[in-house]
Amino acid sequence: MKNNHVSRRRFAMIAGTVTAGGIAFGETATLTAEKIVERIKTDLGGDWPPAGPDGFKAGDPSAPVTGVATTAMATMEVLKQAAKDGANLVFTYEPTFFSRADGPARVAPGAPGRGGFIGVAADDPVYHAKQEFIGKNHLIVFRLRDHWQARRENAMLTGLAESLGWTKYRVKPDDVLYDIPAMSAEQTVALIRSKLRLRGGLRAVGDRNARIRRVLLHPGVMTTATMWQRYTAADLIVAGEVREWENTHFFADLLTAGEKHGLVTVGRVVSEDPGMRACSAWLMTVLPAVPAQWIAAGDPYWRAI
Amino acid sequence: MTARDVVQRIRENQGLPWNDRSARDTFKLGDPDSQVTGIATTMMTTFGMLKRAHEQGLNMIVSHEDTWWNDPDNTKDLQENPLYKMKRDFVLQNGMILWRDHDNMHAQNRDFTVIGEMRSAGIRGGENASMHPGIMTIPETTLGELASQVRRSSGAHAFRCVGDPKAKVSRILVGPGYATPRMTAEADVVIGGEQQEADGAFDNVGYVRDAAALGIAKGVIMLGHVVSEEAGMEDLATWLRTFIPEVPIRFVPAGEPFWT
Repeated sequence: MKNNHVSRRRFAMIAGTVTAGGIAFGETATLTAEKIVERIKTDLGGDWPPAGPDGFKAGDPSAPVTGVATTAMATMEVLKQAAKDGANLVFTYEPTFFSRADGPARVAPGAPGRGGFIGVAADDPVYHAKQEFIGKNHLIVFRLRDHWQARRENAMLTGLAESLGWTKYRVKPDDVLYDIPAMSAEQTVALIRSKLRLRGGLRAVGDRNARIRRVLLHPGVMTTATMWQRYTAADLIVAGEVREWENTHFFADLLTAGEKHGLVTVGRVVSEDPGMRACSAWLMTVLPAVPAQWIAAGDPYWRAI
Repeated sequence: MTARDVVQRIRENQGLPWNDRSARDTFKLGDPDSQVTGIATTMMTTFGMLKRAHEQGLNMIVSHEDTWWNDPDNTKDLQENPLYKMKRDFVLQNGMILWRDHDNMHAQNRDFTVIGEMRSAGIRGGENASMHPGIMTIPETTLGELASQVRRSSGAHAFRCVGDPKAKVSRILVGPGYATPRMTAEADVVIGGEQQEADGAFDNVGYVRDAAALGIAKGVIMLGHVVSEEAGMEDLATWLRTFIPEVPIRFVPAGEPFWT
């Protein structure tokens, strides 16, 4: 983080000089969000269909970039931090505007609470205030999900393992299993809570006293199909989120059956944060002239007292 | 009285045309024509709940949620799964019959799951609630105090809250299970069971988080799927007793599955 700040100051200095002189100074002077994204697209490859989730979500893509930030979710808190740090191009793994549509709904709302349409109401005050903050601070937000997680190097996984301090315990290079120093489920959960700075988002199912050695890491959403295929391979599954009336209930039944396999969910966004830290490190290798930093979105949940 | 007779009796007393197209509300396991020794209502047919019902001599389960850990109760991929076999054998060897009442419960004018959810959350005025009761107004309180009240009232401990605990709130939107309502301009707090955290039709968590950062008073209390609908299954048992006098009927909780 500290090094990032140094390089950002240097970058701002270079960019400032260029702007003052009004002369293009190599590539740096004309680095717009569009150009940075072009570079990233070339490096990641694949198709970038307009209908896919990845793409510009807010701000002016032709605006100059002073610095880059990555995050699991471009929340207001994350955007405030990015603006403060002069990182005006934000790469977010999850939507900025509260739905898969990532913007105002195209269909009129139904009855209150009925749902039935995707997206935020066009006159929504939170949506407007967020857009206004983005505009005033010359921020640009790009969603980078499908193409980042499709890389052969599974950085969403290795990033999470790194945050947990488990990188060196990986069993096989291409798999999701980690053999950690054995401890109880309760101790493992305490370690996860502390390493991922969890507040109210962590929930566990299974035997608290089970001995945990082999852990399966699964950032994001774990489906029942994946779970049924892999649950016997690990003492503990650490996932982002699951469906409670499907996956959770399976692990509750395993406990009744006397099986020692456990499940911990830490929250979708928290589980994806570390992978986006890895993304900022990767960006610095692709675009060494642009300072990149990671801003954790963090645990949104708290618990009643 | 057979399990099929029980279901027929429920259909006759529902007060609404029965939804026969529901793929959820079907027999899941056991012989529908076998004799019922007692009925256990429950939020979810967990293995633990099955054992407790069997110990009480109740062989017919009326469950709101699934048995086989997926909503359609598809067992195609589970045939070699040892837990599936163990649970299936337990049901068959003990002459139990599993039936699910989900879509038809939610269709009733009085949706017991929502009525129970409000009662267990300590929200008054939901005694005749439908599945979509609209906004309930409670005396103004803070989100933090409301969450504490829910904790005291429901006895649940692992539920999750989002928003500023000091935010002043009074307009509550309640929904059961995965039917957690989307936040609206009129509501201060959404109380639901569970919801996909992000990238869904509407992400309450991300929205409320940003609202809080902007000083807009909004909150989410995500009770957990079981906690949100469990109390209603006790109401279902009470209702069944009014027209099924032949066999004992008891509510057998599945219980909050989490530790934290």
